[in-house]
Amino acid sequence: MDWECCWDREVIEPGECPNIGEGEEVLYTSLRRRVLEKCVDCPRFRADLQQMRESGAPMVEILPHILAELQEQRGKLQAMGSFLDSRDREIKFLHEISLVLQTSVDLDEVLSVVMTAITAGKGFGMNRAFLLLADKERKALKGYLGVGPRSYGEAWETWSEIQRDDFTLKEMAKNFYKTKLSSEKQKFHDILERLVVPLAEHGHILNRSLREKRPILVENAFHNPDVDYAFAQMLGVDTFLITPLISRNRRIGVIISDNCITHKPITPQDVQSLETFAFPVAFAIERASLYERLQEELLKVTAANVKLKEQQELIVKMERMALVGKITSNIAHSIRNPLMIIGGFARSLLRTASEDDPKREFLDSIVRETLQLEEVLEEVLNYSDSLYPALDTWDVNHLASTVCRELHHRLSERRIACRLRLETGLPPARIDYRQVSYCLRTIIATAMERMPGGGEIDIETRLGDGWIILAVKDTGQPITRESLEELTSFLDTGQELGNGLGLAICKTIMETHGNTFDIETPPTGGTRYIIKLPVNTEGITNG
Amino acid sequence: MARLLVVDDESSIRLLYSQELADEGYEVVTAATAAEAVERIRESEFDLIVLDIKLRNESGLDLLQKVVKERHNLPVILCTAFSCFKDDFSAWLADGYVVKSSDLTELKEEIAKVLAKKKQLKA
Repeated sequence: MDWECCWDREVIEPGECPNIGEGEEVLYTSLRRRVLEKCVDCPRFRADLQQMRESGAPMVEILPHILAELQEQRGKLQAMGSFLDSRDREIKFLHEISLVLQTSVDLDEVLSVVMTAITAGKGFGMNRAFLLLADKERKALKGYLGVGPRSYGEAWETWSEIQRDDFTLKEMAKNFYKTKLSSEKQKFHDILERLVVPLAEHGHILNRSLREKRPILVENAFHNPDVDYAFAQMLGVDTFLITPLISRNRRIGVIISDNCITHKPITPQDVQSLETFAFPVAFAIERASLYERLQEELLKVTAANVKLKEQQELIVKMERMALVGKITSNIAHSIRNPLMIIGGFARSLLRTASEDDPKREFLDSIVRETLQLEEVLEEVLNYSDSLYPALDTWDVNHLASTVCRELHHRLSERRIACRLRLETGLPPARIDYRQVSYCLRTIIATAMERMPGGGEIDIETRLGDGWIILAVKDTGQPITRESLEELTSFLDTGQELGNGLGLAICKTIMETHGNTFDIETPPTGGTRYIIKLPVNTEGITNG
Repeated sequence: MARLLVVDDESSIRLLYSQELADEGYEVVTAATAAEAVERIRESEFDLIVLDIKLRNESGLDLLQKVVKERHNLPVILCTAFSCFKDDFSAWLADGYVVKSSDLTELKEEIAKVLAKKKQLKA
């Protein structure tokens, strides 16, 4: 018999079997493989079988059954092979993603990888994805990031670009992180802002997915009783997949993905793949969030450490200053009495000396120099006193009116009117009465110096921002910035004592004890001195 | 003529005050210690006491309390190198407070003021 097919020959020549293609040359010499891989599907073989059947050979009847079984088994094998291939690809993809996720602690970097993986063709190939994260207070899920095109045009452009560049997933994620993260956030700003779901809203489909710890494929969203209509309208798609992100029973967030452009159906395979993907993602997001919080705490601790160090240095400095102050105070007190005696007797002699007495000049000099030394002493003593605050509860209004009364005579002499505007019902302050009183006297004395031709001084007390504000305003020439700096610098500039250090001492006293002292030049003219004193919340008021 | 008692542990200061206040027309008696001051007060009448807060080894404030107790209508002006005492509660018992200075104008003014007030109260 002449056979059309080549199944009866061990070796054939190229061209004898039309089914053998390039790269399959081995089949020319392997009869077994040629029959199994080519002949069973070849019409020539079927024609030979027919010819055999007509010849009445007994085995011919069962051959088609064997062939059918062979083809079926082969089909199953191929399907299994392709399934295994796709699984293999998925595992490799997940492995690659996991490696990136494991190594990153930057939340945005992690999210870039995640969202790229979901939307890239080389990943899960969804058209669009939204990520909602549970907020820090764990009160609500809030839209954090959206990725994907918003229109067909944009989709076409983006996908053409991806095809052209042919980046790996890792490269795409990196590119996204560097160039697109903020623009994508901005692009979906309107949706993300509205994507807020309270975690307490148990009936919401997103919370259901989290509670049941499983993905939910929402279909027919606009007519689905389980889905809030406004929510579906916001997403603008009929079908979407909700994938919960849960790490160690903590609700991290959810991913909503859809095919809003291509409307390609979301298959059970997609659902399963994304579910598998969600585990490392949830873990990575939680880890990155924790790392972020850890960084915040670390910053706080570092800041606290710096502050502590500053405080320690300040304490050491203050202790040193206190010691210096103590010594200075003792020396100053020892000097004061002899100085007073020298100056006092000099004045006495000067008063009784005749106008033409040549010794008058010497006496005058002693009186002048003694006075200068006494002024220095006063400042030294005031400064050293400031190092030992005696904090107690005092009525600032009483303090202000007392100081004003004490200075009344001097103010009248200089034709300066002093007005008191004291807020009634002012709470008591916790202050060192003597030192605040000294500061107020110094401020008024400075204001008096600035108004040689007379003027007005307003003393005001009021409550503001939790502080008791004691403000003094004069109508003198406003203090310039330069002279302000000079007037309020003390230790830094090494200014000589006795040269009007009053305001500098005031500033030091106030700031050392946690009060504030500011000097302003209001546009209406003059100078305003503002002391802020802490309100006392305990104890009884003195004064 | 008003009689003043000056209490200070520094002899030169007692001398200075005596001269200066005598020039102002006062009769001045001095005491160097608190005990001496108490003795003088018991011996005779004074119109006013000028008292140093920090006497050697003793406090002028204790003496002030004693004076207020025994002669509650006898005015006292505290006179000291320590301006910080001004707001001390004990110092509040005094009728006046002057920080020591070679310029005695403030002291003289304070004495005149307190004496005038006393006179006014008597009248």
